[in-house]
Amino acid sequence: MTKRMYPFYFIAIALVFYLVFAVIPSLMGIFLSFTDWNSYSRVTHFIGFDNFATIFSSDENYLHGIKNTIVFTISTIILKTVIGLFLAELVNKKIKFKNLHRVLIFMPAIIPMLVVGIIFKSIFNPEYGLINEALRTIGLGQWTQQWLTDVQWAFKSIIAVDVWKGTGYIMVILLAGLQSISHSYYEAAEIDGATAMMKFRFITLPLLLPALTVTTVLNLLYGLKIFDTVYVLTNGGPGYTTDVVYTQVFSQFSLGSYGVGTALITVLFVIMTILGYVAIRLMSREEYNG
Amino acid sequence: MKKIASTLLVLGLVSGILGACGTNGNNENSNSPSDSSANPTNESGTSSNENSAPAKKDVTLSYLASQDWIKDSEMKLAEKFEEQTGVHIDYQIVPSDQYSNVLKAKMAAGEAPDIFGGQSGKFDLGPLYDVENNAVDLTNEEWVKREDPLYIEQATWNSKVYALTIWDPSSSWIMVYNKKIFADLGLNVPHSYAEFLAACEKIKASGVTPIYEPVSDGWHHVLWFPELGVRYQEQDPGLADKLIKNQEKFEDAAVLEQSLTQFNELTQKGYFGENALSNTYVDTEKNMAAGKYAMTLYTIGLPAQIESAVPGSHASDYGFFPIPLNDNQDLNVNPAAPSKFISSTSKHIEEAKQYFAFLAQPENMQYYLDNEPKFTALNFPGVKAKFNADQQEFFDTYGKKTGTVYQTAINYFNPQWTDIGKDMSAMMVKQLTPKDVLKNIDKRREQQAKTAKDANWK
Repeated sequence: MTKRMYPFYFIAIALVFYLVFAVIPSLMGIFLSFTDWNSYSRVTHFIGFDNFATIFSSDENYLHGIKNTIVFTISTIILKTVIGLFLAELVNKKIKFKNLHRVLIFMPAIIPMLVVGIIFKSIFNPEYGLINEALRTIGLGQWTQQWLTDVQWAFKSIIAVDVWKGTGYIMVILLAGLQSISHSYYEAAEIDGATAMMKFRFITLPLLLPALTVTTVLNLLYGLKIFDTVYVLTNGGPGYTTDVVYTQVFSQFSLGSYGVGTALITVLFVIMTILGYVAIRLMSREEYNG
Repeated sequence: MKKIASTLLVLGLVSGILGACGTNGNNENSNSPSDSSANPTNESGTSSNENSAPAKKDVTLSYLASQDWIKDSEMKLAEKFEEQTGVHIDYQIVPSDQYSNVLKAKMAAGEAPDIFGGQSGKFDLGPLYDVENNAVDLTNEEWVKREDPLYIEQATWNSKVYALTIWDPSSSWIMVYNKKIFADLGLNVPHSYAEFLAACEKIKASGVTPIYEPVSDGWHHVLWFPELGVRYQEQDPGLADKLIKNQEKFEDAAVLEQSLTQFNELTQKGYFGENALSNTYVDTEKNMAAGKYAMTLYTIGLPAQIESAVPGSHASDYGFFPIPLNDNQDLNVNPAAPSKFISSTSKHIEEAKQYFAFLAQPENMQYYLDNEPKFTALNFPGVKAKFNADQQEFFDTYGKKTGTVYQTAINYFNPQWTDIGKDMSAMMVKQLTPKDVLKNIDKRREQQAKTAKDANWK
């Protein structure tokens, strides 16, 4: 037990802010998800688990949104990590204009999602968009797609845009991880006759694991609360194909069913808490081992 | 060196922050006296005595509205209003498919604008906008007596008028067709659904897409369904009353399923073209003028808009006929239209009322109509309409039998417009059947009716 340096009341003000702006609203949100809070009446009643029964009933579309959110999270984690790691390896080599490449790859991360959405809506336009025009120009007209309105392609297009935007950020974190690996390991391995693949498998990956854990947790939390990308590109369409949890919450709020909306957020909160807890346990185990 | 640089940086940042605080403070100071100067003094610019204009003051009215609701001529009038009174109107235009979401979110957060746009409708004012709590009662305004009573009815909730509607009464949604394409293919105006299908087939075979349908906006393709209210009434008299009283469900109404099925047939036969789901409403003029599409669902003002938007095109190249689903031959009318409300939480209610009175002055409304190509008439008597020969002919042919559209005639329908839009898109991509769409409409009506404690839903 270390001796306390400062008295407890030093944190009092910060604690009040934390309670008022973080803890109490969260608890209120969870409470409200058990009520029939809506825009039509001024009083709310406690209705138990009715909202949750609605969410998990097969008549409704909410499970589809939860499934989409999970598909989105898993696929962006894998794609961003793999592509990010690949790019990090590339710009870590002695190539020309190394810094320029790093900046260019990182650039999408600092563009607001709304702007990205507007740009990609025009790029994906089936009639005069960049992608389809380019495909037609090089004679691959049969590959053109209705990128954002075809049931088969819409969600994939959304994932692609999000990966394009988010990979640079992951690359920077992994690049920092790569640069912290001492070069002497690689030299020693080379003397022992290790191939590039073996060096990657037995030196880079294990030593990069802390950085990979960080990026995975970041991607996980980002993926589960995905809203803006879907909202600006398809708003859940065509029909309900690309709905995720937060677009559903948004439309519940606009229908005035605040209760169901908050219940959906509560469900996501539970999922996030469980996954976040597991992730933090994994991370702290890394620290003890290291 | 480093130390000096960082000291400079910190100094710069601090002075920047302090500077920002300073200007903030100044702004508050300069604003507060003008806010409290509520003493109105008469000004020569306005004519009405009841609405005596205050001296020029530094007031900004925020005005939240959906895309396409604010016309350029209104913005010009707002400039004139600012010249006369010093009251600036700050227009905040929101994309149409998201408007109701944004408005509700702002109201729920207590950040309502001074003036907000909203679709009027006798069933919707309460459930959709909660006007009793969110809007100012305008019953005693001078213009209420002059506005078309049909429109006033739609802006009234519990016998109080809450909104000013300045809209085109002739702006029914009808089919606008390209006369040249029809003439080249030897086609006549269709008088039944079967004739319409045959025409579409012939047009499609000639390489032209029969119908321009902007689905991506989320609202336009819904029109095909409820706009046919006049025809539903003819086919199944009393259906509207039964739906209002919950004695019949949408799901069980054969005429409603018929029109949705026919709409779906148009989709599946490819008459909307491949790009319908990504087509946008704002591109209608451009695409119609290019001759790539033969017809579109629009108002009677479209030809004039095409002529003014696309050089070399002529308004006289376009003709009109009513929506042909369910063999309809009658004219659909919607006396509910985009309207203007004043927020009850606004700090500048008087100024907003003054702005409404200014817009409703006869000479300003004539200016508004004369400078708006989409409009041909206004819902205030005394404003001179501008029908051309084609429009006159259309109203002479089809205007004999008119009826109210379903979004206005039926309760709990209009608030779910964009949701129906989603359902209908899902139907277009074959995820839902017409019956499913109707079931979803019933489900959402029930949800709204129950939360509104409607006695007909128990």
